[in-house]
Amino acid sequence: MSTPAAEHPSIEILSLYATGDLPFVQRFRTSVHVRHCAACEQHVLTFQSTKAELRREAQGEVLTGYEAIADWQALEADMLGNIRVGVAASRCIENVGRRSRLGFRLAWGTGMAALFMAGWVARVPADESGRLISALRHVVGLEQPAFNGTVLRSTRDGISVKARGATLTILHPQSAVISMSGPASVTARYVDDDSGQVTITNVYGQ
Amino acid sequence: MSTASNLRFISLTALLLLLAPVVSHAADEKGKWFGVEFPHDSPVVSVGFDFGPSTITSRGPSIVIDLHAALTLRNVGTKPICGLTLRVEAQDLSPHGRGSVIKPSLFVLPGEEFPVKVDMQLVRPISAARSESAMVQVTIDCALFSDLKAYGPDKLNSKRTLMVYEMEARRDRQFLTRLLDGGRLPELREELNFGNQDFIPRQLGLELLTGPRTISSREQALAVSPVNFPKGPVQPLGGAAQVAGNEVRAPRVDIRNVSKLHVVSVAMGWIVRDGHGTDFVAGALTSRLPIGPVQTSFISEAGTLRFSLPSGAPMVIDRLMTFVNDVEFADGTVWIPSRDDIDAATQDYILRRELATSPEEQRLASIYRREGTDGLKKELKRVSLSNSKPN
Repeated sequence: MSTPAAEHPSIEILSLYATGDLPFVQRFRTSVHVRHCAACEQHVLTFQSTKAELRREAQGEVLTGYEAIADWQALEADMLGNIRVGVAASRCIENVGRRSRLGFRLAWGTGMAALFMAGWVARVPADESGRLISALRHVVGLEQPAFNGTVLRSTRDGISVKARGATLTILHPQSAVISMSGPASVTARYVDDDSGQVTITNVYGQ
Repeated sequence: MSTASNLRFISLTALLLLLAPVVSHAADEKGKWFGVEFPHDSPVVSVGFDFGPSTITSRGPSIVIDLHAALTLRNVGTKPICGLTLRVEAQDLSPHGRGSVIKPSLFVLPGEEFPVKVDMQLVRPISAARSESAMVQVTIDCALFSDLKAYGPDKLNSKRTLMVYEMEARRDRQFLTRLLDGGRLPELREELNFGNQDFIPRQLGLELLTGPRTISSREQALAVSPVNFPKGPVQPLGGAAQVAGNEVRAPRVDIRNVSKLHVVSVAMGWIVRDGHGTDFVAGALTSRLPIGPVQTSFISEAGTLRFSLPSGAPMVIDRLMTFVNDVEFADGTVWIPSRDDIDAATQDYILRRELATSPEEQRLASIYRREGTDGLKKELKRVSLSNSKPN
């Protein structure tokens, strides 16, 4: 049975499979593939025979100096092959598990960040967000130092006084006319639809 | 702290933010947050209040108190009340900030009841300390009677404010009565915006910063042009202000007392012209400034003003003008410009209208819009009778 090339395990995976160093799930998947793929089976057999040869050498079948020199090219090829397999295997072992751990951390971190952002948007007043952004801009030198005194401000919905971290807003309809009414006072004036009376609201700072 | 610990901390914070409960208090519990208190000798007392859709919620690191209190007050004094100022104080802002609700043009006879609404929002850090007293306290600052005498601690200089409103109201009622009695209905219609429901006076956004701050390098000196009321007891001579974009800082105006009376305070009105040539009456700044007869002095303000259009876009300041809005004399009397003074001050029709628009005229225009000429006549007659009652 032929298998599309795109589905072949990489040479690193095959080398690890040949030496029995793959994790269980990957080993099972690779063995299923190797059983049905002649090319990959050939790779595995090559790796296994090389491994057996190396083991034999390690067990005392050491070449004499003369033999080694006589068969220098074969020895060199073996040594280079071993080094390549070793390096590939070590890289493969490094990546196996790390990818999945990294993926998990990334997903968890993204989820937590999304949760945090949702919480922030839903719960933290725009004023507080603005202050935080302003502080960050100040830290990176994009903004002048924040004003620490009392701030009186008019918005479409009300006039407010902000001091000591608290804000008092006296609300008014959008038709209200805003003006200043003293050196530290802002005024809103409107006709109350229900009572027909004029209402004038003020906020004062010191 | 390791990455894992950091992430655990962030996730816990996120959960706390998401799961922070919305705290809704029953009406009786709202009393702990909102208090109404009048002195025992007050000419007005609270005979009832309703909290309506008020809520108290936690939002992130802050607590948000949304109060919509409808008070019913009764005149328990012996004189008609024509103006009232209620002081709104929040313990978190004291003594740096406070608010007030003013009811001018009231005409409440002894024994009569009248409604006052206080719609407000207080945002405070959850961690801020809290005392036993109500978080927001409403009390009387000043009540002005029809004989222009006043009651109250007057911590907000309300007596002067109410007096100016009342004098403007009397001036405008007199003017409209003259138009009605003289059958000058086209002028009356024009004065009251033709009963147009969509008419809203020119609006602007304001931000007032008090306390020390960094001075912008873009600042330029801009001359302040005086708008003179020919018969005014105090005349503006001119001045200057530092302007940068939509910010005005340290305005200074030279003035001269041309009357024979001692002046104790002057309110300078300000007109701002934007880049399109539109004038906005920005309001009036009152300064306590003793000036003897025929003396010259100057008024300066330390704060910074930022102007914006109703849309929130910064307003480019092209020109600044100033006029004397009202003058308080040492004998307690107050001068305001008459209709003739306003007519003589400027040829600009729209500016003239802006200068003449008082709270009372706004109220009467609303009655005219809803009830026509007959409703206006009836209201002017009612107020005239209220004011003629013996004190």
